[in-house]
Parts: sequence; structure tokens; C-alpha cells
Amino acid sequence: MPEGRRPAGIPGSELTGPWPVGQYAARLRERLRGFTHVQVFGEVVSFKAGRAKVWFELRDGSGALPCSMWREDFEALGTGPLADGVQIVAAGGCDYYPGSRTASPSFSFAVSDVRLAGEGDLLAQLERLRRTLHGEGLFEPQKRLPLTALPRTIGVVCGEHGKARDDVLAGLRRRGWGGRIVWAFAPVQDRHAAPAVTRALQDLAACPDVDVIVVARGGGSLADLFAFCDETLCRTVALLRVPVISSVGHHTDRTLLDDVAAVACSTPTHAAEAAVPLDCRAARAQLAAHTARLERQGRRAIVERARTLARLSRAPAAHVERHRARLHQHLREIRAAARRRVAGESSANLGAAVALSRRGRAAATAGARGERRTISDAAALARLAALDRRRRDLDRLAVALAAHDPQRTLERGYALVEDSAGEPVTSAEAARRHPRLALRLHDGRVPVRPEPPVA
Amino acid sequence: MAEADTLTYEAACERMEAIIARLDSGEAGLRETLELCQEGRRLVEFCAGELEAVGQGLEELRLGELVTRLEA
Repeated sequence: MPEGRRPAGIPGSELTGPWPVGQYAARLRERLRGFTHVQVFGEVVSFKAGRAKVWFELRDGSGALPCSMWREDFEALGTGPLADGVQIVAAGGCDYYPGSRTASPSFSFAVSDVRLAGEGDLLAQLERLRRTLHGEGLFEPQKRLPLTALPRTIGVVCGEHGKARDDVLAGLRRRGWGGRIVWAFAPVQDRHAAPAVTRALQDLAACPDVDVIVVARGGGSLADLFAFCDETLCRTVALLRVPVISSVGHHTDRTLLDDVAAVACSTPTHAAEAAVPLDCRAARAQLAAHTARLERQGRRAIVERARTLARLSRAPAAHVERHRARLHQHLREIRAAARRRVAGESSANLGAAVALSRRGRAAATAGARGERRTISDAAALARLAALDRRRRDLDRLAVALAAHDPQRTLERGYALVEDSAGEPVTSAEAARRHPRLALRLHDGRVPVRPEPPVA
Repeated sequence: MAEADTLTYEAACERMEAIIARLDSGEAGLRETLELCQEGRRLVEFCAGELEAVGQGLEELRLGELVTRLEA
């Protein structure tokens, strides 16, 4: 139907018009925009982001309202896309898009500002507090505290009857740790939780024996975990002198306590293991192995060196011993040679003496016979003289021979000094070295002992 | 002993491993070896003491009991 030409109305109708729809739509927009601007609250459903606007519905138990917001304004809020079910407060007023021949009309509540409410609000608060604490550097001090590998006393903050308590014990048992646990029981999920946990932590940290503190609780809803996002609690933990290990969070939701603590764990069992980084059973075995190695190395160092020393010290002694043996051999050979020579000379002389005396006797007999025959015989006389001369020669030789016999020397009053092995000691220096000596006289040996040197 | 106050289990273990590595290398002289062994034995004693302290079985105390004990 061409514009400008108004069709006839419905017969019998008392209503005004008919009016062109675009005109009516424009009037409708004006009227809707004239509605008072208000704040409404409800849960977000079906959040969509378009190029220029974001869209979502706000619902509660009794009704719903389609909402739109300029994308630029929404992004300025910094909340990120809104999940289904998030509670918000939206400020704005009604608006109507009249559409056109080619575009559908639509009604929406034009949102100018949003505040997250309920959990959403808590999350936003949490985010703000997290930024503040981080900005103040409060995430750092706990992380700088040294965690001892082998704490003697562990403080544990947890619910008195929760599962967390057993989990902590299981973790410690797994480590083979048997030290002292100090329990500080506190409520872990209602509004009393934060102050109670804070006090427990302060009290534990004040005990000089406590090496590390575990704050443990099992899972729970996010709202329950907000106790562990308490600002006072987190500021207290950040400044404690004792490292705190937290295991209060979820896999997905991190509490502020997890951020400020020295270590954040996903379960109480892990927290207990983090509190005792050392596997005590393995450490005991390793220590025994270390001890054995130290002992072995120490012994080896000494035994090896002693062996080398012994080898070194034996070398000169063996050398001297070899020389000594050779010398003794030489000495024995010399002595044997001397004895052989003396014995040989002696027997030769004896033979000569026997021959001479036989000839002497024969000459004497012949002389006597000759005497009987011719009393004076010059030749016989000459023979007798020669015999006499030979006898004298023989006597002289016997005396000279006897003079070479050591026994004779001893008989003349000399003594031979011998050591305990019977070897002759030929110098005073050698004599002083022997503790015992023997004097060999012609009729036997007399043991003697040199007097100690006069100091 | 001033040393025991500042010595930690992990520091003692680390030092002990360094000592063993040095001994294993065979480069240490006799005097050094003996000194290292002596130091090693001291460290072993220290570590054994630390392990002994947490090897007696769990002792569980309530915070209140500990405070009472400390104040006594």
C-alpha cells in the first residue's frame, strides 16, 4: 500500500485512526523513553555481545526484561562477559527500536550502568582486594620465607571435625614424619571463621617451636570460601614470620589466602606433604648410605696410603738386606779360602817334616853302621851336619806355622770379640751397636755386655 | 653448638653430598680426606638427630596445651 494514502477504518470501530505504524512506533518510543529511569535487579540469562551492543535478559521468579547496553559502556565496567545466573543490579530505562520496512522492531531496557550483586559482587570485591594486596606487595613476604625440609613442629588450622584433619594426618604419614602437630581448631565456613582463623594463625606463629603452619579445609561452595578472602586475615598471614601453607581453595576458585600464603595446595593431603618436603623414610635410607660411603672412603684413604707406605718402607730395607746377604757370603768365602790355605800349608809342612825326620833317622842308622865300619868317615860327618841343619829348619818352620794359628794367638792371651751370631766384631763402633758380645779366649767363650755410653 | 643452631637439614645434606663427591673423586689428600670424613661424620650425626626428632611418632597437641606448656 503506497504511503500517504490512508485506508478506510474498520466499520463500526470507535477507535481513532487508522494511523501509519511507523508514526505510532515513533510515538511509542517517545512514550517509553519518557518512563522514569530506575534500577532493577535479577539474574542474567543469555548474555550476547554484538558489534555495537551487548544483550541479555534479566530474570527473577516473576518476570523478565530484555536488556541492552552499549558495548563500549559495558566493557568499561571490566566485569567480562556475564555468566548465566549472575546477580546484577542494572540502571537504565525503557527504550524501543521502531524497526523499519527491513528491520524488526524490538523493545529493551537500555542499561546505562551495572553493579554485580550476590556472588558476582563478592567476586568483584575479591578482585579489587586482590589487586590492592598485590599492589602493596603483600603476596611476596610469605614466599620469601624459607621452608625447612624437616620441620619438627607443624601448626594446623582446620575444623575440629572435618575431613581435612584426617587428610593432613594421612599426608604426614605418607612422608614418614612423626614430629609434633599443634592443632588450632577453628570454624572454617561461617562469619566467625575469618577472625577465628586469624587468631589461630597469630597464636601458632607466636609459638617459637612452630616451623610451618597449614591452613586446611575440604571443598565448599565459593561463598563458604570467602572467609579465607578476609582482608584482615590475608594481611595478617602476609606478615607472619612463619610460612603458611594453604589448602582451602578450589581448583577453579582461588582464595586470597592462597595468594598471600607461602604455598597454596589443592588438598589438605598435599598441604601436609608440602609442609614436610622431605620423605623421611627415604632420607633415613639415604643417610645410612651416606654414612657407609663416608666410612668406606675414610678407611680406604688410610688403608691405601698405609699400603703404599709399607711398600715404600720395605724397599730400602730389602735393598740393605740384599747387600748384607752378599757381604756375609763374601765373608764366608774369604774365611773358607783362608782356612783351606792354612790347612794346605800345614799339611805340606807336616809332610816335609815327616820326610825329613825319616831321612834323619836313616842317616843316623847308616852313620852308626859306618861308624862301626869306619869310625871316621868325612862324608858321614858331612851328612850328619846336613841332617842337623834340616832338623833345625824343620823346627823353625813348625814355629812359623804355629804363629799363624789363631788358636795360638789366643793362647798368647789375645781375645776375639764376636757378636751374638759368632761373627767377629772388628771395630769399636760396631761393638757399640751390639747389646751383647762374646769374648772368645783360647779355652772358650765369655758373654759380655758393653757398658752403656757415659752421658 | 653455634653451628647446629644455623645448620639446616638440607644444607647438611648438600654439604655431605659435596664431601662424598670430593672423596669419590680420589683427588683429596690424606689430611683433607681425614678432615672431610670428620666433617661428614658430624653432618651425619646432625642429620640423624634431625630425623630422630621426627621419628618418634606423631605427638598431637592442642594449641591451648602448647601455650600452657610454654608458660609453665
